[in-house]
Amino acid sequence: MEVRLEQVIKCDEKKQIFTDLSEIFVSGQITGLVGDNGAGKSTLLRLIAGLDLDYSGHIYYDGQPLTKPLYQQMTMVFQTPYLLKRSVYENIAYPLKLRHRPAAEIKEKTQAMIARLGIEKLAGQYAHRLSGGESQKVALARALIFEPDLVLLDEPMSGIDAASVSFMEQMIADYVQQHQKTVIMITHNARQAQELCHRVVHL
Amino acid sequence: MDYIIAGFWKALELIFSGDAELWGIVGLSLRVSGSAIVIAALVMVPLFTFIGLRAFRGERVLSRVLNALMSMPSVVVGLLVSVCLSRRGPFAELQLMYTATAMIIAQVVLVSPLIACLTYELVKHRGREIQKLGQTLGASRMQSTFMVISELKSELFIYTVNGFSRAISEVGAVMMVGGNIKGHTRVITTTISMLNSMGDYAMAFALGMILIVISLIINSVLYTYKEKRDDV
Repeated sequence: MEVRLEQVIKCDEKKQIFTDLSEIFVSGQITGLVGDNGAGKSTLLRLIAGLDLDYSGHIYYDGQPLTKPLYQQMTMVFQTPYLLKRSVYENIAYPLKLRHRPAAEIKEKTQAMIARLGIEKLAGQYAHRLSGGESQKVALARALIFEPDLVLLDEPMSGIDAASVSFMEQMIADYVQQHQKTVIMITHNARQAQELCHRVVHL
Repeated sequence: MDYIIAGFWKALELIFSGDAELWGIVGLSLRVSGSAIVIAALVMVPLFTFIGLRAFRGERVLSRVLNALMSMPSVVVGLLVSVCLSRRGPFAELQLMYTATAMIIAQVVLVSPLIACLTYELVKHRGREIQKLGQTLGASRMQSTFMVISELKSELFIYTVNGFSRAISEVGAVMMVGGNIKGHTRVITTTISMLNSMGDYAMAFALGMILIVISLIINSVLYTYKEKRDDV
C-alpha cells in the first residue's frame, strides 16, 4: 500500500507539530522515522493509522482517502503493547477471528506463527503475564498474522533484550520481503535505521 | 446488659430454627436487591460503555453529574419514586406503591448512578485505549465495544457487586416506597429499623447478623475474585 501525505498540518493546543508535511511511503519498503522527542513521530503514525483525524491536509492510501474498509488492511504496534487478557494463542489468533476466517485457517496460521516465535510452551499462558520481550514479539506476531498492507510500528523494540530485537528485526524484514507490504517504523536506534530500513525520514 | 445477651441468644435460635418470618424477610431482601442490581447492570454497563467510548463536548459535565448522583441519599430516591408512584403521581395507575416492584424500582434508581459513573470513568480512561487497539487490529465499532466489555469485565463485575452491597444495606428508599408491610414488603433493613424503635432486639439481632454474613460473603467473593484476577 502506498501512503501519500500532502501538506499535512497538525497542531495541538499549544503549538504546530507539523507544517505542510508531504511524504510518500511506498510498498515493499521499511521506512524509518527518526527525530527528537516531541518531533511528532508517534503523532504522525496515529494520523496515518486513522486514530487521530484532527488534522489539515490529505493522507491517501493507494490514492484513496481513508475509508472504513482500509482499517482492515492496516495495523499498528505500540511502544507498550496491550495484550488481551487471554492466552497467547488467542491473542495471536484474534485478528483472524475478527475477520471471520475459517477455523482451520486460524489454527494453522496461529500455530505456524507460534512455532516461528518459538513460544509453543507459552501458547496457553495468559499473554499479559509475559515478559517485555515476549510481549512485544506476541504483539508483532498478532499484527502481522493477517498480512496487513500497511504496518505502523511505534518503537516496538525499545527496552527489550538484544536477542528479541534481532528476532523482531528479522521478522519485519522477512515480512516485507515476502509480501511486499509497507512498513513505517519509529526508531531511535541509528544501527537499526541504517541496517533494517530502506529509507529514513527525519522529522 | 442482660436483655442484649438474651436478645443475642434468641437471635441465634431464630436463625437456626429456620423461622419462617425471618427467612421470608431475608429472601425478599435478596430478591429485591438482586433484581435491582441485575436490571441496573444490564442497562447501565452497555449504555455507559457506549457513551464512554465516544469523545464529546459535555464529558466533564457528565462526569460531575454522575458523581453527584452517585452520592444521592436513599431517602431522596425514595421520595422521588414515591412521588411518581403515589395516588396523585404520574404512574399511579400502575398501582405499584407499597409493593416489592416499587422497592426494586427505587433500588434501581439508587444503584444505577453508581454503576453508570464507575463504568463511564473506567471506559473513558482504559476502554478508549482498548478500542484503539481493536481499531488497529481491524475490529468494527461493535466488535471493539464487545472487546472493551470483555477486557474490563473483572472491574465491571466488582462494580456490580459493590452496587448490590449498597442496595441491600440501604433503608430509606425501600421504607418509603415499600411501607415495611409485614409479609409483603418487609426487608432486612426496614425490619431492623422498626424493631429497634420497638425495643424488640432478638429478631433485629438475627437480621443484623444475617446482613453481616451476607456482607462477609460478598466481600469474600470480591476478594477471591480480585486475587484470582491479579494472578491471571
